[in-house]
Amino acid sequence: MKSSGTLWRVVGTASLASTLLLAGGFAFAMRDMLIVTPSVQQAARQAPEEAQAGGQYQQADEILVTALGDSLTKGVGDNSGRGYVKPVLEQLKAATGKPVQQINNLAISGLTAAELDKMLAEDRGLDNPIRQANLILLTIGGNDLFRPVLEARENGSSSDIPLDEIEAQIPAAAASLKSVVERIRAINPEATLVYAGLYNPFYDIAELRDGSAAVQRWNDEAYRILAKDEHAVLVPVMDLFEQRSAAYMASDHFHPNQDGYVRIAQRIVQALT
Amino acid sequence: MKGMLPLVQNETLKIWKKKRFYVILLILLVLVPLFTYAQLRVSQTNAANFKDWRNQIQQQITDLQNTLASDRMPEEWKKYDRIKVQQLQYYLDHDINPNSPDAATFTRQFMASSVSMFFPLLILALSSDLVSGERTGGTIKMLLTRPVRRWKILTSKLIALTLYVSLAILATGAVCYLISGLLFGYGGWTMPVFTGFVIDGSAIDATGVHAVPQWAYMLMQSGLIWISCMTIAILSTMVSVLVRSTAASIVTMMAAVISGSILAGMASSWEAAKYIFSVNIDLTDYLEGTPPPIAGMDIGFSLAVLGIWAAAALVVSYGVFTKQDILN
Repeated sequence: MKSSGTLWRVVGTASLASTLLLAGGFAFAMRDMLIVTPSVQQAARQAPEEAQAGGQYQQADEILVTALGDSLTKGVGDNSGRGYVKPVLEQLKAATGKPVQQINNLAISGLTAAELDKMLAEDRGLDNPIRQANLILLTIGGNDLFRPVLEARENGSSSDIPLDEIEAQIPAAAASLKSVVERIRAINPEATLVYAGLYNPFYDIAELRDGSAAVQRWNDEAYRILAKDEHAVLVPVMDLFEQRSAAYMASDHFHPNQDGYVRIAQRIVQALT
Repeated sequence: MKGMLPLVQNETLKIWKKKRFYVILLILLVLVPLFTYAQLRVSQTNAANFKDWRNQIQQQITDLQNTLASDRMPEEWKKYDRIKVQQLQYYLDHDINPNSPDAATFTRQFMASSVSMFFPLLILALSSDLVSGERTGGTIKMLLTRPVRRWKILTSKLIALTLYVSLAILATGAVCYLISGLLFGYGGWTMPVFTGFVIDGSAIDATGVHAVPQWAYMLMQSGLIWISCMTIAILSTMVSVLVRSTAASIVTMMAAVISGSILAGMASSWEAAKYIFSVNIDLTDYLEGTPPPIAGMDIGFSLAVLGIWAAAALVVSYGVFTKQDILN
């Protein structure tokens, strides 16, 4: 009886104390949710800690890669999910002997140049990964140029696909690309910026083969935007997807397949080493 | 209320002697190391792939944005991801790591994810044979032939149960903290955690967001867990009064809890489901700012639903227990 008296005192006290604590916690939570939250002002914004800038990849001990852009950078169409970014990392590592690390792959499928420009303008979370990098990989513009064609294709016939609409998109998209490059440069002026040019995804459709001329014009525009920047390089990939395009295109007839991405990666690494 | 204390003492000791609390501790001692190890592996993978947590959070945001860009995803599901993106963005903008690897954060996350299933299970281990156990063991006759009013007996049982529910919640927190601390370090109590996200349709109203130290957040969280656990405890007491066998009482309650959590996952189009108690158990969601399973639910609503269910269960329990004929 004595031991059970002690047990009762211990268990009783401990559990009573827990009950009071938890009831207090509940009251505290209700106060926070019903009184504090409505009355509180937005917490004072603290400036996030500035990440160390990546510098230039040639001098750095470690190559730090941030990729951004559209579905090509995301790797859509590659069944292994690697896209061109992962092969670039591996091949760069093999070629330079330096450790190569991907900081972030910030690509979003379906992104247009204008949308990327808006993201860079508004989303301060992108600053850190861009600042930390010494190598930035970028693809953009494909969705701006080819969306009218894709939409027409979805709606049925391929006969009256508006080829001239591809060209009509170029000036606005080029202006967005210029702004994108400027924004990236404002965050990180030193990193090498690699822009992979566009290819004509519809080369295998006879009526759309002429689209290649429009794509070439876009690549010219992009080259003009990047040429002034000594740390920027445009990597052409258009020729890779013409003669044997079926072997390098995914089944959606729009994105490259795994082999196609590996070839894009080879081009990029050639330009960097 | 005179004469109540010895009864409570008696019931408390009974539950203790039935070793139910040891079972709870044992379950915790087995499960928590498993989860701790899993968490360790997650943080190791993240450390290997990302330079620091900001990159990891940014990647998480980008991945969610990619999911959102997909047309295959139904609009109602996108709502969760959109809110998740906004929350992560908020943490990123304020330079606070929502998944900082320390024992306090681990404990907080473990407790939050345990509300819907694990805690109810622990509570059922304590409560499901509260009355039916007396029947199975045949002790109910002894209990009821004593010159004590029946309502006093049931009240003392409920008080003892309340005490153990509290003890179980704190024990869970303590075991979690002590074990995970071995791997993650015992820090993190003062780390700021954001609360006050107000869900408004598919967007978050962040004007009410404020940082509280993690210890305060955990205290509030435990208080809310306590409320949902008490509701489960009271309901399961009712079942224990109504059903003769303990096994049947556990199965009934578990079925109710599980069906609630399944409904919560799929019932967004069936609005009346929000009146079911088990859809409202996840009270900590309101603290975190996770969107409720059904539009239009908020903390006041959930508390009211839980309160009404608990009150009804008490009425039924007392009504049946005081009137019931004990036959064998």
